[in-house]
Amino acid sequence: MATDALRAQVAAKWQESFSRLNQNEAGIVGLLNFSQAWNIARECMRPRGLDEPDPQTQYDKATFQASFELLNKCRRLPILLETFLDDMRNHFPVIKQEVDQYTLEYQNTLDTTHILNLVFRLLQWYNKWIPRQELGTTLQSAFVLSFQTHMFSILSPAFVRGFQALCASTLPPTDPDAIAPEPNVKMWEAFETLGLLDRYENIIASVGYEHIEAHVIATCSGQWSESMLPELRKWMTDKVVPWMLLMYGRNATTADDAKAMLQNVGSRFDFHMAKTLCDLRTKEIFDIIIDFPDSSGALQDLKECLLRVDQRAALVHTLRKANHKRLLHPGADTRLILSQYVATIKCLRIVDPPGVLLFKVADPIRRYLRERPDTIRCIVSNLVGDDDGGDSLVDESEPIQPLQQSELEDYTDPNWEPEPVDAGPDFRANKPSDVISTLVSIYDSKDLFVKELQVLLAQRLLAITDDNAEKVEKERRNIEILKIRFGEAALQVCEVMLKDMTDSKRIDGHVQSQKTSIIHPTIISKHFWPMLEATEIVMPGQFRALQEEYAKEFSTFKPDKKLRWLPHLGTVHLELHLEDRTIETDVPPLEAAFIELFSEQDVWSMDDLIAKVGSSVDKAAALKALLTWVDMGILKEEGENTFKLLEVAETSTPREARTVSNAAMELPSAPSVQQQQAEQMRVYWKFIEGMLKNLGSLSIDRIQAMLKLAPGYDQTVEQLGIFMEAARQEDLVDVYDGLWKLTPK
Amino acid sequence: MKVEIKNWHAVAQWRWDTGVSEANGMDDDEGDVCGICRVPYEGCCPACKIPGDDCPLIWGECTHVFHMHCLLKWIGTTASKQQCPMDRRTWGQSVPIFSSNTLSSFCSYC
Repeated sequence: MATDALRAQVAAKWQESFSRLNQNEAGIVGLLNFSQAWNIARECMRPRGLDEPDPQTQYDKATFQASFELLNKCRRLPILLETFLDDMRNHFPVIKQEVDQYTLEYQNTLDTTHILNLVFRLLQWYNKWIPRQELGTTLQSAFVLSFQTHMFSILSPAFVRGFQALCASTLPPTDPDAIAPEPNVKMWEAFETLGLLDRYENIIASVGYEHIEAHVIATCSGQWSESMLPELRKWMTDKVVPWMLLMYGRNATTADDAKAMLQNVGSRFDFHMAKTLCDLRTKEIFDIIIDFPDSSGALQDLKECLLRVDQRAALVHTLRKANHKRLLHPGADTRLILSQYVATIKCLRIVDPPGVLLFKVADPIRRYLRERPDTIRCIVSNLVGDDDGGDSLVDESEPIQPLQQSELEDYTDPNWEPEPVDAGPDFRANKPSDVISTLVSIYDSKDLFVKELQVLLAQRLLAITDDNAEKVEKERRNIEILKIRFGEAALQVCEVMLKDMTDSKRIDGHVQSQKTSIIHPTIISKHFWPMLEATEIVMPGQFRALQEEYAKEFSTFKPDKKLRWLPHLGTVHLELHLEDRTIETDVPPLEAAFIELFSEQDVWSMDDLIAKVGSSVDKAAALKALLTWVDMGILKEEGENTFKLLEVAETSTPREARTVSNAAMELPSAPSVQQQQAEQMRVYWKFIEGMLKNLGSLSIDRIQAMLKLAPGYDQTVEQLGIFMEAARQEDLVDVYDGLWKLTPK
Repeated sequence: MKVEIKNWHAVAQWRWDTGVSEANGMDDDEGDVCGICRVPYEGCCPACKIPGDDCPLIWGECTHVFHMHCLLKWIGTTASKQQCPMDRRTWGQSVPIFSSNTLSSFCSYC
């Protein structure tokens, strides 16, 4: 079929190939030479068993080289290479068997020496099989690539785990006393040769990371008193860097070289250390704040770490969560929340001076505090030093300064700085103001504080029983300090209260000089004291006589004024002479009134007692007063609500007569701000009653609109609604279809 | 049993004796206000800070009572024509009707 031309072409090709292999020798001598050279070369490069002798022992270098040159001349080297790689692939199952065996042993014992042995064994194979240097780099690199490909294909995941463990075992131990393992240079070289380092670089790095993490957590957990970072850095230099040097700086010849090589990886490790420490401190932040100021070292660390690692959001998140879980719940005392808040302010100011973190963390706390009814009272009582042994929120060394209002930014200030990048849109650049200003700014106005302050001052002033000028002086000093903060005008009322105290004393001095009396009243100016709960007690017997007598003397001294007693306030020091005993005690007036009645008659029912002292006394208060005496063993409850005087002490209840009863120690009650608001609302009841009487039924909006005409009315319609609801419960009004009307009497 | 009072620390408020209140049974809790400044008598006039003897009352012949400072300021204006602002009768200061009739210290502040 083939044409002549084709036939000729094939013949020419064949001839050409033949002559190339035959090298133009006579006959087939060249061909024979070629096949001999091929055999020698192939034999030389054949992958051998480890116990077979090296090819060098069989053939000398010259023969070997000659064969190769011949092959090269015939352009058969690529074919040789392919054959060689094929041979290698065919022999690899031997290695695989060994690898599997070592890996299995490791899996059974978890002893990393098996892995180490495996690596060395692999190295042996590698060295055995690697083609001679003089054959050129092409061959060698082809070999390395192929060997590694095959090797990695047979290494199982179990080996990777073992390798990781092996690397970990070379690390310096965390325990400083233990001896560091000898650096196994050979092993690292083997790793390098076999290409394990490049392939498993991630694993080695993760070993390093884990080591750092373990060390940081072991040494720094709960260690807040001093900064740990310098020590950690030293540890890194002493322990971790030499380890890294084995791996990353292996080719370095000089110190500078090594330094350059380690720069990159070293900063990665340093970053990881900072991150670990930062995570740890973030996790601990709540307790760190509790420990403040003993934990300032930890805060310094945190500050430095935050500069390196961007964990600010995580910190805010964690702290907010911790606050929510551990602080802002009904079980926490308001004082505790406040002091934690103050500590948070101080701590976060260290960590982040511009206050962005603080602003983000403080917001929920402030919102929560605003909802607590006793927050103001807590802050104020802290301000006046009324705390029973608790830590003062205010650092005494801090200078007292006027409250600061958040002011507009002054863009003409040459030191003006823009808001930090992560500041939210509603971030207010709070100038580092003092703690009190921050606390007061929880509320929109400081009036609430002034009101509460007034209530508190009233309680404390009225509690001063004996003529104790120092106590009044102390209050005056307090008020003077607070004036600096709140301003003179705001505390004018307190000023009057203090003046009333000294005036009372002066007046009392005068009255006593005219006619001695055992009653020493504090005379107050009605509109300058918080509204005091008005329960009208009609004091019986000698008490009334005393009151009237004193009032008469007072009017003689101040003819244009008269006294109006607030009989439920104050304390009475009494001495009770009973048949078998004498008891001396301090009691509130209601108690005194009751016992006075008992001196007229031995047995009283509670209702009769209440009727005697004026019906405005409620039963609970009366019962409490009576129980005070029962506690002292002077009265005894006989039947329901009937009490009997014990002229002779009952032996069955040998109670020690206490000189001071607890009830007497209680501060006179002054209603809180909320109660006062309700009280204010009561003023408007007359208006409401009047309009309902004249106009029949009205809707709440209508009532509100009309009340707005009344002077000083500032209640919202909601407050009015609450008040009307309260009035309805007292059966004063009735509501039908949203229209309120008076209940017909 | 005998109850002996050793010491009584009591609390009282002072009120101006305007002469009307208790007699007429008008002694409600609100107290009366000065007809000029609408501040209670026991408070102080807008110019004062301390109530009581530092900001006393003044009693007119027409029985109207004002803070002294308020009234004097009113009388000082020409528009007042020396009349009581409440009833336009010529203002004349009266000797107040005190429940006790000692007047010894009254003049201390006129």
